[in-house]
Amino acid sequence: MAELNLHAALPEIWVAVSAMVLLLVGAYTGDRAMRLIGLLSMLVMGVAIVAMLGIDVSTVPQLAFNGHFIVDRFAVFAKVLALIAAMASVWMSFSYAEREGMARFELPLLMLLATLGMMLMISANDLISLYVGLELQSLALYVTAAIRRDTVKSTEAGLKYFVLGALSSGMLLYGASMIYGFVGTVSFAGLSTALSGATEPSLGLIVGLVFLCAGLAFKISAVPFHMWTPDVYEGAPTPITAFFSAAPKVAAIALFTRVLVDAFGGLTPQWQQIIFAVSVASMLLGAFAAIGQRNIKRLMAYSSIGNIGYALVGLAAGTPQGVSGLLFYMAVYVPMTLGSFAVILAMRQKGQMVEEIADLSGLAKSQPWLAHIFAAILFSMAGIPPLVGFFGKWMVFAAAVNQGLYVLAVIGVVASVVSAYYYVRVIKVMYFDEAVTAFDRVDGSLKLVLASSLAVVVIGILFINPLQNSAIAAAASLFPE
Amino acid sequence: MWEITLTHYLTVAAILFTIGVFGIFLNRKNVIIILMSVELILLSVNINLVAFSSFLGDMVGQVFAMLVLTVAAAEAAIGLAILVVYFRNRGSIAVEDLNVMKG
Amino acid sequence: MDVAIVALPLLGALIAGLGNRRLGDRGANWITSGLMLVSFVLSWIVFLRYDGNPRVTELFTWFESGTFEASWAVRVDQLSAVMLVVVTTVSSMVHVYSIGYMGHDESKPRFMAYLSLFTFCMLMLVTADNFMQMFFGWEGVGLCSYLLIGFWFHRPSANAAAIKAFIVNRVGDFGFALGIMGVFLLFGTVGFDAVFAATPEKVGQTFHFLSWDVDILTTLCILLFIGAMGKSAQLLLHTWLPDAMEGPTPVSALIHAATMVTAGVFMVCRLSPMFEYAPDAKMIVTIVGAATAFFAATVGLVQNDIKRVIAYSTCSQLGYMFFAAGVGAYGAAMFHLFTHAFFKALLFLCAGSVIHAMSDEQDMRKMGGIWKLIPWTYGLMWIGSLALAGIPFFAGYYSKDIILESAFAAHTGAGTFAFWLGVSAAMMTAFYSWRLILMTFHGETRADHETYHHVHESPWVMLAPLIVLAIGAVFAGFVYYDKFVGETMEAFWGASILFAEGNEVTHHAHDVPTWVKLSPLVVGIAGIALAYLFYMFRTDLPARLAGTFGGLYRFLLNKWYFDELYEAIFVEPAKRLGFGLWKGGDGAIIDRLGPDGIANVSQDVARQATRLQSGYVYHYAFAMLIGVVILVTWYLFGSGW
Repeated sequence: MAELNLHAALPEIWVAVSAMVLLLVGAYTGDRAMRLIGLLSMLVMGVAIVAMLGIDVSTVPQLAFNGHFIVDRFAVFAKVLALIAAMASVWMSFSYAEREGMARFELPLLMLLATLGMMLMISANDLISLYVGLELQSLALYVTAAIRRDTVKSTEAGLKYFVLGALSSGMLLYGASMIYGFVGTVSFAGLSTALSGATEPSLGLIVGLVFLCAGLAFKISAVPFHMWTPDVYEGAPTPITAFFSAAPKVAAIALFTRVLVDAFGGLTPQWQQIIFAVSVASMLLGAFAAIGQRNIKRLMAYSSIGNIGYALVGLAAGTPQGVSGLLFYMAVYVPMTLGSFAVILAMRQKGQMVEEIADLSGLAKSQPWLAHIFAAILFSMAGIPPLVGFFGKWMVFAAAVNQGLYVLAVIGVVASVVSAYYYVRVIKVMYFDEAVTAFDRVDGSLKLVLASSLAVVVIGILFINPLQNSAIAAAASLFPE
Repeated sequence: MWEITLTHYLTVAAILFTIGVFGIFLNRKNVIIILMSVELILLSVNINLVAFSSFLGDMVGQVFAMLVLTVAAAEAAIGLAILVVYFRNRGSIAVEDLNVMKG
Repeated sequence: MDVAIVALPLLGALIAGLGNRRLGDRGANWITSGLMLVSFVLSWIVFLRYDGNPRVTELFTWFESGTFEASWAVRVDQLSAVMLVVVTTVSSMVHVYSIGYMGHDESKPRFMAYLSLFTFCMLMLVTADNFMQMFFGWEGVGLCSYLLIGFWFHRPSANAAAIKAFIVNRVGDFGFALGIMGVFLLFGTVGFDAVFAATPEKVGQTFHFLSWDVDILTTLCILLFIGAMGKSAQLLLHTWLPDAMEGPTPVSALIHAATMVTAGVFMVCRLSPMFEYAPDAKMIVTIVGAATAFFAATVGLVQNDIKRVIAYSTCSQLGYMFFAAGVGAYGAAMFHLFTHAFFKALLFLCAGSVIHAMSDEQDMRKMGGIWKLIPWTYGLMWIGSLALAGIPFFAGYYSKDIILESAFAAHTGAGTFAFWLGVSAAMMTAFYSWRLILMTFHGETRADHETYHHVHESPWVMLAPLIVLAIGAVFAGFVYYDKFVGETMEAFWGASILFAEGNEVTHHAHDVPTWVKLSPLVVGIAGIALAYLFYMFRTDLPARLAGTFGGLYRFLLNKWYFDELYEAIFVEPAKRLGFGLWKGGDGAIIDRLGPDGIANVSQDVARQATRLQSGYVYHYAFAMLIGVVILVTWYLFGSGW
């Protein structure tokens, strides 16, 4: 264990070094090179994916930095997903950034650094690397939220995100310190060993666990730590919101899962209750609060809160089946949310971005394909078979039912019925309301994202088995034989 | 006489943490105070970590504390930077003015 | 060949129904009528060459669930062979007749498709080998009847009549369905042969119901008979039949005179192996049949709509068939069914011809004096009426006589009751038949000038079917008398009708006293004479009589107030109940607590949830803190929860 084993962390090192180099490039070339740097960042991420798939984790996990860093199938699955999401977000940001005057070379770099933070989070194997990865990601995200320095909304979003994020980090750290003090170790492996005994956990440990969970729940915007989400989603520039809604969610929920299942596997009954409560609250709030929204980005914020609630149903089950359901759910959720944001990015009237749901009226007539794609995505999110969204929900609910968590499954189904209401409302606006003003032409870059997400949503059903199998393999690596 | 035990350190840290948290949600005036409160929270955590480290006879806690200090510095810098751009747009850093977006 | 008989009408219905536009009127006429005529010829071949051995052609299994199994099959025995002939003859004649009669209608392909579909369902019914297929045909003819009564769907009265027919039949079908379920419960199968074979073992078995011991077999038979009552418009469930005359006249001839309404009689005869072991049920059949025969005849006396008179006459004749079956003279019932199909279809089609000639006038008070203008129709109407009234050597004479003689020969209370009601109904039948003829064709015309000048004989495409049916109405009686009810009838019917040991009713019927044999004829002639007196020589008498016996007249004119009674007992309360459930139950309770309520609550919750999102950082931070506090407290006080 006591060895560096750097090759396991090669993708991260590659991304880190590249980010530095690109920073230098940017510093010399200035904002003109934003698109170039963005494309290079995407290339860096792409290479990282390839490098990651080259790491042999098929039998045993690879440990690096004396066990602070772990690469297993779970990590690979989550990282690939997060990297793809990040690449798509960078891709979508170009034309928006150029049009809206936020084309700074830092933007793709910050996203790249945030992605590095996510990779570290996913591979964190003790509380310290957890914290460092989390902060690297968060600090970069705070800045991206406020990247439009000239607008109140964007800066306010950044400030709110920062203040609440700092509070949540404080809570997380406080929890980590308590855990460290009461167990005597920070490494997940050590925690796992120490807690596997049947002894009643001490109060300090439980308090620590609750604080840690609170900090992590903030990052995945689970109720009641979700309050920042709608405001930040609305205020942040739309491509950034798209980024927020996809990649960090994957990383944070993967981290959350690893901490709870791996490090705190011995306290499963304790944290199950937390996850249960948080999951129920998220699903219900995500469903109900979205009903009254008029801004499509806020709607997506509540939608992502609800979706995290569904994903947590899988975690609440606490079984390999549940975790694989969670991974599957996230894998399905990412393309759906990115596709939705691609549609939102296409909402431009006479060169001006609009974000009211009412602005979508009559879309089916003016731009039928955009309307069809959005309708397919929304139906998928609502969980209508045979679109992939249905199978995501199906798998987490099945895992919950297998663990006897009927209440959770029933509430989940009720919540998805309620949420279907607001998804379908958007579809109704697109198809049956009278058009006000038609949207401008859709950018070519968006079309690519739109087409891919439509493909995933519609023909994803053909690839459910391979995806599910890799999710199962990934989940298995968290559970010792 | 008094012997300073782990409990005392933890109590101090808990008090500091609580003050920090209260500073965030009771303060309605100035965002700077929120930044200070955040620092307070991180400090309380550091006290916790160092105290545990000492009592456990384990260096990890102190390493952790060093990292927290480093990150806290970065965090403060970013926080202040965001605050500055916000002030330029809004002309105020009162917490109560920080609600353009709601609902 | 058996299968082709059944399948050809379906083929015609599909082609005419689905090929609607492209086929055109002419194509639909040719195809449906052509296929129907082929089916008609094949049926006669099957009937005439039938060798006495029942045969069943199993097509395929319909469904199978545990021991519950039903298959599509075409069963041909003497009973179904007779029905095949009746159905295909009348149906093919009606098809041909419709080409002329519906000539001006816009949706002829639809009409022809319905007719063929009806025929298919009727054939399914009569060739069924099990209760399920019979039920399928039963419901199928009901559906077609509904569609055809409401064929002119732009007329509100047609729609109302269609719905009435459908709903009243539902009451009967409910009994029938219960009966079938009961049969399955008791016998464990719905195949006819298996059920009939097992019936004798079940005699005397009882079940306990509300502190009564009820005979199972009787109950089943009564339930099945309720189905027959609905379909055959017997007393209490008869109200739909007169209203069904809203449909086009060929429909009335085919469905509401010759075939569908006789399905009930056919069913009782088909199930004779069950009814024979349930004497109480048979008694009920006798009484209901006799009462219907009498009741419908009385109402027929005073109706003014030419089709309604014939409709009540149909109802009455069906009553005859039922009480014949009730006393055990199934052969006589089938015989009357057979002859009745010819002369009643003839009467209806003649009436249609009259209506056609009179520019769609149906009220007999606005006719008269047209016999010279439409001599063919007039003559054919005479033939039909003579047959109906039971005048010797016409078909009705043989079948009606044997029915009345059987009723007398039964020597039971119910039989005697049926005999006397039957004889009086026979007199009324003769009376209203000639009332119809005299009012329609004789005397001074009461039609307006234009209509009268427009009167014309129907085209040959309409007259030819009438002539075919007239041949049946004249000869069907004496040609088949011996076979159906004569000394050799057991050999003729074979196993298709069971006469229990000691059931010698039909044989005794030949040995009744002479006055019994003569009575139908005497009252028939008396009825005709009376009609001549009233409507030819002393035309003031009917009005004076109606004035003197005003109460009775109105009672009859209003069909014994059955409709009003049902309106008060069933329709009004049901409407009130429905309205109450709609407003009170569905609107106030289910909607308010269900969809509307949930929607409102959701909206409220949504409003509250968005109000929580105040926009203030300190509120958000506070919410996070509350969350942590709640979770910690949960563990402090609720650990182990």
